[in-house]
Amino acid sequence: MASAVGSAPSRAEVLSLFRSLLRTAAKFPDYNIREYTKRRTVDGFRQNRELSDPVAVAAAFAGGKSQLEIARRQAVVYSIYAPKAKSVMEIKAS
Amino acid sequence: MAAKLVVARLAGPRLFPLRLLPFSTAAVAADPAPIPHNSSAADDPDPVTVKGVKISGRPLYLDMQATTPVDPRVLDAMLPFYLSRYGNPHSRTHLYGWESEAAVEAARAQVAAAINASPKEVFFTSGATESNNISVKGVMHFYRDKKRHVVTTQTEHKCVLDSCRHLQQEGFEVTYLPVGKDGILDLDRLADSIRPDTGLVSVMAVNNEIGVVQPIEEIGRICLEKGVFFHTDAAQALGKIPIDVDKVNISLMSLSGHKIYGPKGVGALYLRRRPRVRVEPQMNGGGQERGIRSGTVPTPLVVGMGAACELSMREMEYDGRRIAALQERLLNGIRAKLDGVVVNGSVERRYAGNLNLSFAYVEGESLLMGLKEVAVSSGSACTSASLEPSYVLRALGVEEDMAHTSIRFGIGRFTTEAEIDRAVELTVKQVKKLREMSPLYEMVKEGIDIKNIQWAQH
Repeated sequence: MASAVGSAPSRAEVLSLFRSLLRTAAKFPDYNIREYTKRRTVDGFRQNRELSDPVAVAAAFAGGKSQLEIARRQAVVYSIYAPKAKSVMEIKAS
Repeated sequence: MAAKLVVARLAGPRLFPLRLLPFSTAAVAADPAPIPHNSSAADDPDPVTVKGVKISGRPLYLDMQATTPVDPRVLDAMLPFYLSRYGNPHSRTHLYGWESEAAVEAARAQVAAAINASPKEVFFTSGATESNNISVKGVMHFYRDKKRHVVTTQTEHKCVLDSCRHLQQEGFEVTYLPVGKDGILDLDRLADSIRPDTGLVSVMAVNNEIGVVQPIEEIGRICLEKGVFFHTDAAQALGKIPIDVDKVNISLMSLSGHKIYGPKGVGALYLRRRPRVRVEPQMNGGGQERGIRSGTVPTPLVVGMGAACELSMREMEYDGRRIAALQERLLNGIRAKLDGVVVNGSVERRYAGNLNLSFAYVEGESLLMGLKEVAVSSGSACTSASLEPSYVLRALGVEEDMAHTSIRFGIGRFTTEAEIDRAVELTVKQVKKLREMSPLYEMVKEGIDIKNIQWAQH
């Protein structure tokens, strides 16, 4: 990531962050956390789509990056301690 | 090091847990035992058997008022304090103590910001129950010479009611105000019941069983006029409805960590400084927390609570909108397929994430036993040890048979629409099945009025 702190990210960087967040979301073994991370990412980026002030955009981008780091770490932790049984929502209804 | 190994192995598409890691034994030991090989081939790969009930996987969780899952962002904030920054915040002589104390004070500021208070007014406890105990017993014991009367409601949490009962045994007087059919307090009755020797008015902001929101702004105004301390148990309200201690004139407030996606075992107590509220401490010792609550402050838990508070402030609007939509979906979904569904408590003045429904002509225990794949509760966890119907529903004037069939659906930040749809489907199926079998329901369908039957003596 070439953007320095405080300068607005490029469209490619924003898209890359979005995709990284969704990829990390898919790594959570917990159904509820996984769905929440995906949904929150999509809704968060959609909400900030109209931001025009470069300072606000840079701040939102930085916030997103720190959330990505948190998500990456927690995906590992949740995977290590994943329970054997999955949620009933993930099991096809018989 | 181990983390890199884990990440390398997880690089493949499989998300299943590694069974090789030695340090996961405690977690594995805590899991319910999987069924041995004599299970039939038709069963799902890993069925779960607990207490003789066999279900195919972990139930979908709709019991947010009992407790909430820890948000991954909260866990992320807490973990360093279990791993390397394990110092005691009261150690004054080394880095471990200093960094721990800094973390506790930062968390205190986060909690204070969530309620628009000063950090000097926030004290950490072991939970809302302890905060309620300190508020009720601590205040009355401190002012015991001048104040001998407490006013509270019949729908308070057990810890408040039990503390009041304890005070009664010591010679104080307590007025338990009734609530209306919708669960809301009558403000005129409250104003009338306040005497010159009333030391405390305690009314919870959001009820844990029925979800009604009491008019705490008006109650705060009445208490300000009469010069009485106003305590509110905001365990279920924090992070869900906006709370401003100055706007509402709150003197004392109890907060809980595990109701706002934080860790269990931590809570906070807000004590107003202007005008100063004094309490007699319930935990004596080394004078930690300004003498209000002695005992080592549990840094990881407190950091978790602070992170949860800050998160809930940021997410309150987003979560609130989603949860309101999900509640509508749940209620409309059930009402579309079933009749005889009653919402317990006011429909307008309620927190959206708490939906307490009674299903007529259905027995509660059998309904719950049929809803094995949905984790819900009937009555509150605190009263479920006894078979008595919940005292909160009794205070609402709900009839015994309807009180027995009440189910509380708790919707939260992580609840999905698919879960709501599945819960609707399972609930409707189970209620219909029970009603098919019910002779009472047959009679009602034929038009017989059950209340006016003369049952023959055998």
